[in-house]
Amino acid sequence: MKKHFLVLMTACMLLISVALAGCSNDSTEKSSGKGTVEITAWLTPQWKGVIDSSEEGADYDSFFKQAAKDFSAQYKEYDVKVNTQVIAGDQRDELLNVNLNGGTPPNVFFESVFAMGDYAHRGALEPLDDLVDDASKEDIPESIWENVKFGDNVYFYPFSQNPGTFAYNAEMFKAAGLDEYIGEENEIKTWTLAEYETILKKLKADLPKKKYSNAYPMGVFALNNQADTWNLAYLRMFGNPFFDEKGKIVVNDQAGIKATTWLKKIYDEGLTNPGAESVSSNDTNAMFQNQQLAINFTNSVLYSNAKADMESGKAPKFDMRLANIPSESGDPLTFTYVTGASVFKSDDEIKTKVAKDFVKFFSTDKELVKASKNAVPVRTSVVEEFKSEHPLFESYEANAKYIFNFTGNVAGYNQVRQVLYPELQALYTGEKKPADVVKDYQKNGNKIIEDATADSIIK
Amino acid sequence: MRTDRVRENITGYLFILPQLLLFLIFIVYPVFEGIRLSLFKISYTGETFVGFTNYMTLIKDPVFVKSTMNTVIFVIFIVALTVFFALFVASAIFDKNAKYVSLIRGSYYIPVMVSMVVMTMVWSFLLNPSNGLIPHLAREMDMSSINLLGNKNTVLPVIIFITFAINVGQAIILYIASMIGVPKDLFEAAEMDGASRTTVIFKILVPLVKPTTTYIIIMNIIAVLKIFVVIQLLTGGGPNNSSSTMMYYLYNNAFKYNQLGIASAVGVIMFLITIILSIPQLRAMFKN
Repeated sequence: MKKHFLVLMTACMLLISVALAGCSNDSTEKSSGKGTVEITAWLTPQWKGVIDSSEEGADYDSFFKQAAKDFSAQYKEYDVKVNTQVIAGDQRDELLNVNLNGGTPPNVFFESVFAMGDYAHRGALEPLDDLVDDASKEDIPESIWENVKFGDNVYFYPFSQNPGTFAYNAEMFKAAGLDEYIGEENEIKTWTLAEYETILKKLKADLPKKKYSNAYPMGVFALNNQADTWNLAYLRMFGNPFFDEKGKIVVNDQAGIKATTWLKKIYDEGLTNPGAESVSSNDTNAMFQNQQLAINFTNSVLYSNAKADMESGKAPKFDMRLANIPSESGDPLTFTYVTGASVFKSDDEIKTKVAKDFVKFFSTDKELVKASKNAVPVRTSVVEEFKSEHPLFESYEANAKYIFNFTGNVAGYNQVRQVLYPELQALYTGEKKPADVVKDYQKNGNKIIEDATADSIIK
Repeated sequence: MRTDRVRENITGYLFILPQLLLFLIFIVYPVFEGIRLSLFKISYTGETFVGFTNYMTLIKDPVFVKSTMNTVIFVIFIVALTVFFALFVASAIFDKNAKYVSLIRGSYYIPVMVSMVVMTMVWSFLLNPSNGLIPHLAREMDMSSINLLGNKNTVLPVIIFITFAINVGQAIILYIASMIGVPKDLFEAAEMDGASRTTVIFKILVPLVKPTTTYIIIMNIIAVLKIFVVIQLLTGGGPNNSSSTMMYYLYNNAFKYNQLGIASAVGVIMFLITIILSIPQLRAMFKN
């Protein structure tokens, strides 16, 4: 009896000690004199390779693995191990929320700023003002710094930017007799709205059915919130400012209704792919690469990745070029995703310090910042160095005057995104009229912004 | 006397202690924590007690009402289809050649063995309105563009069919096993009395497999209440929340919108529904 009791007690003690060991939170372990610090860095897919996607074995985390290696080699205070993890963009909020609520957020997160602003509002991010030195302030334009500031603090260290445009298949244009609308190879072509409608109609009517079977003029999507910035841009096509000066959505006006009516009109006329309510941006992207769409959304990284896929034979090769989203006024609509790293708050001060030092290292290192050429560099010095190799950099620069701030840096932006696509689904299925779509979207969106602003730490 | 009894049974208690501890930590504690959280507004910086506000918000939210209605529809139709179809297939083949029974059983069970995610992806490829096989064939046959997942009138029947097709194998296996266990002399007696096959099925088979039917109904109700993967991967709750379910609504609030209080309130409501629906089965168990 006593023996049984002893065995059971020992087993219980063992179980408890194993559990307690698992809960220990000591960030540093001693090895070779310096302590070892392990931090986690997450990123969503951006570019492949360290500096270039043509490198052997190039993958989305190649840059961070190399940056971690270089950082660890030169870091004097600790031996640093950086665990990098690539996560899908559409799973970002789920993963972050689960880990934040469980007390295990990553130390570093590299992503487009617009998707991460809510975490700054919620008080989950470390301000990074102490990392910004004068040299970087001068090298990166003020407009970019404004993009990464929430309240008075910088929360993201800007690395690159991805301007959003259209991509079009110039060969399909030629096949439909639309030669006059094709821009130069490195031009971001601007069409008027009337020209754009002509293009869509001619593509529908004159695209050779044998060569391009099952193909449509333009890609539209509303399955989820992915690439919804283009949908937001369409809502501005008739001059709607989207946000007022207080950060409230004001899409419910004549211009907003006109824009939604236009979207529904081109959809009903078969000038887009069918089934937009069940089609995601990933679907239209795949269709564009398979030449089933003549015009589709793109940003600078998607554009370079698509070109790389064509070069490597992963996707059919065709003449792909860029164009702006047209508007009624004639001025094109464009926006940019500033990408950069943020540091999540942690109870472990050492990890926070190392994470901040790591962010500063790869965001300022002269060699590593060259990787920003895979999108569009935010640093003037990198643009100057690569503009001869990448003539599109100058085109993007010329386009910059048309950029609009699509998030308004408002609190609750991520949740506001979740109420747009159900409304667009209702629009495309005919369940709601355009006027009701903008009315309901404005009402639901503003309620979210109001609640999130009340909870925000940024006043 | 009492101390002696406790001492006598202490080894038994100690043996169940690890399981009891795990049960308390991983089942009982989360349930109570969920109930507690449903009464709070939770943000990154802290928790505020709000009483039943989260429940009131839910009742007023048309998306939650729609999700609840959809869940009820799914439960009724998927469970009914599963039970009737499984009963039909099992009663048709249970007394046939063993190899034939194995073939049919295996054929229906394959989708159960394949991951739900994979099965849903296959259906997604088939039904994608822009480049899926079914809409493509419809266009080839000069039918207008069809989008079964984008039409609020067809999206529920499609999801019901897909979920039923993936799950029905389990019920067929259980029914066949149960029917094979029915004493043969009952069938022989019925044959002697000149009973038709229909009479045998409805008067002998169905009443004798009633415990299996109860089990299949309860298990399927609980499984369908938690329906999520098909919705997440196939429709994302669309079009315009037409196919949203309680579990999908809970997931969105918990992980996308970070409204943990609201999500916990949905969890509590689902927990209560499951408890209520399980009472008949629990009663039957205790009776036995």
